Amino acid sequence: MREQLIQYVNLLFAGNDGVEDIKQEILQNTLDRYDDLVSRGRTPEEAYRQAITGIGDVNEIINGKADFAEENRPPVYAPVPEFDSTAAAVSRLMRALAIFLYIVSPVPLFLFSRLGWFEVGLCCLLIIVGIATALLLLFKSPKAQEQHQEYIEYTDRPRNSGSQRELKKSVGKLISTVGLVLYFIISFATGAWFITWLIFPIIGAVKGVVNSCIDLREDY
Amino acid sequence: MSIAGDLIRGHTDAVILARLLRGDSYGYEINRVISTLSSGRFELKEATLYTAFKRLEEQGLITSYWGDSGAGARRRYYAITPAGVEACFRLRAEWKETKEIMDKLLEEET
Repeated sequence: MREQLIQYVNLLFAGNDGVEDIKQEILQNTLDRYDDLVSRGRTPEEAYRQAITGIGDVNEIINGKADFAEENRPPVYAPVPEFDSTAAAVSRLMRALAIFLYIVSPVPLFLFSRLGWFEVGLCCLLIIVGIATALLLLFKSPKAQEQHQEYIEYTDRPRNSGSQRELKKSVGKLISTVGLVLYFIISFATGAWFITWLIFPIIGAVKGVVNSCIDLREDY
Repeated sequence: MSIAGDLIRGHTDAVILARLLRGDSYGYEINRVISTLSSGRFELKEATLYTAFKRLEEQGLITSYWGDSGAGARRRYYAITPAGVEACFRLRAEWKETKEIMDKLLEEET
């Protein structure tokens, strides 16, 4: 019966390279269990059956997915995953900087317009908006990490995030609609069609600011 | 049993750390103690136990080494690290708090 148990465990791990250590350990534990059961008066057949039942599902270990398997899911009190607080702080700072840039972006336009260099001011505005957008893209709020934490912080978080997403979507639509209406009103009123398209990049910028504000709020 | 089992399984790491606090041990020995202490009502599967060992080792809370089983076969032993001791005490405190809260929440109206 002991020999059959060894064969059984060997078969469980058959066809998988690099699992020798795992196999050794599980085999030894299983044999220990078997010997223990027999020494406590079980029949070899009974002990064999119980030892095999006690192994559980090794495919989860072999596939390296053990941590996410239903039965082996990380316990709720698991230490919060190592997550680089400096990196997070830098990322938050950069996102805040991006918002700042969006807000001050029209300043050069006003200043240079005063001097009569409208185009220079416009270029400055576009460059600043470009930099701010690049910052936002580079320092997106760390969703992946949050997802992991969400699990630990019970179920409040995902629901919350869902509503944040909804909020972002509806605010985004609102801004787009208002922007479009403004575009037509201003364009027809002033007839300055050659420049009113600027409203669209501004809409994009405003959306970015709003989304970041929502993200920042979510981070805390 | 199945509900209690799930609840206990959620605390596998704490249970293992608490066992190793009393000295180095190996898979089956830990499982046997768990079984004895729970009067045979609870036991971990080998796969679950192994996964927990690996997780704890990755977190630096335990270390492992190969030793002799006496019968010639090799056996993997586990030892708790200082960080593990600390984690164990923390988890124990957390459990006490959880237990206290649950007791309060499930208490019959007085």
